[in-house]
Amino acid sequence: MQTDSAAVPPNHDHRKQEPEITLRPFDLSDVGAFMTWASDPRVTRFQRRGPCTSEEDARRYLADHVLPHPWYRAICVDGRPVGSINAKPGQGEERFKASIAYRLAYQHWGRGIATAALRAAVSSLLEEWPHLDRLEAIAEVENPASQRVLEKAGFLREGLLRKYVMLHGKSRDVVMYSLLAAGPKLR
Amino acid sequence: MDQHMGVGAKEEDREEKRTVPEITLRPFTISDVDDFMTWATDDRVMRFSRRPTCTTKDECLTHMKDHIMPHPWCRAICIDDDGRPVGLVSVMPAPGADVHRASIGFDVAYDYWGRGVATAAVKKAASAVFEEWPLLERLDAVAEVNNTASQRVLEKAGFQREAVLKSYLVLRGESKDMIMYSLLSSNSLKVEEMNLLDSENNSRWMPGK
Repeated sequence: MQTDSAAVPPNHDHRKQEPEITLRPFDLSDVGAFMTWASDPRVTRFQRRGPCTSEEDARRYLADHVLPHPWYRAICVDGRPVGSINAKPGQGEERFKASIAYRLAYQHWGRGIATAALRAAVSSLLEEWPHLDRLEAIAEVENPASQRVLEKAGFLREGLLRKYVMLHGKSRDVVMYSLLAAGPKLR
Repeated sequence: MDQHMGVGAKEEDREEKRTVPEITLRPFTISDVDDFMTWATDDRVMRFSRRPTCTTKDECLTHMKDHIMPHPWCRAICIDDDGRPVGLVSVMPAPGADVHRASIGFDVAYDYWGRGVATAAVKKAASAVFEEWPLLERLDAVAEVNNTASQRVLEKAGFQREAVLKSYLVLRGESKDMIMYSLLSSNSLKVEEMNLLDSENNSRWMPGK
């Protein structure tokens, strides 16, 4: 099992299989668990939104953004949320694709949870949105851990897009990954 | 045809040849509709375009009113001899927080292909938007894998090929693989540099292309 180039959490688990995870929609009562990763700069480092500063901030984000989102799920281990994964469908000529993003509480890194969550999300999305041709995800060039997660989850690397996203005031190079739905689609 | 000779032109440069025509970019007016129709109704031009093919003058007028006139940055490509539009180049800022990014697209009337018009227009548009939008760092474009003509335009305009994005867009009812290209503000030639290069006659129209 590969280890992260960043610091490995002390309870690093050497199981070869991926852990059992479940995905479910969020509830406002998840705000405490949500804060665990949403307020952690080690997690938010690679996401657009900075860390949540308070439970009120997190609650507002859950209510305004997460609950009404087209597809936003809690990643649960033993029924407890340890992270989130979401899919944003495209508009217009891009409506047959969706972008996936995920985040995981730092103490759960290095156990294959993100990979398992991605696999589960891909499976659900291809079933729930049968019109989808393409799932895509980006990982910053400086985030090799996330690149490995995507590769292990079956995404194929397509290329490096220079200065593609603006993150915390600076434009970043990212690697684009995709996973295609099987078979040609009739329209 | 040698009025653009720079100082120190070699003997071979004095051969009969044509320069890339001077092109200018200007906003469209609704009165450009007839010229707009020349390419917008032509499937040879529009078959790879992300912009829809119009079939009637009314459709063209509607498209101009609904998409071209309110567009953040859309320009008619005009060739100086008579100033009438022979194509379109447009730059669309990326949605949301990515204020540093925009995408470029272009269409040129079929009769004007093979003369470097699109390349010149893309270069001028890139230079203009990098100057007008100081926050812009990345200009990108996608071209269908089978659209080698557009790929060459982007390459000649200094764009770098980055990736093949599979099933990236649905155009004309089909899922298309697209090639992503980008030009960074640090790579883009400034207008003055471009003018200098043009006057040194670095661009040549190759007969029979």
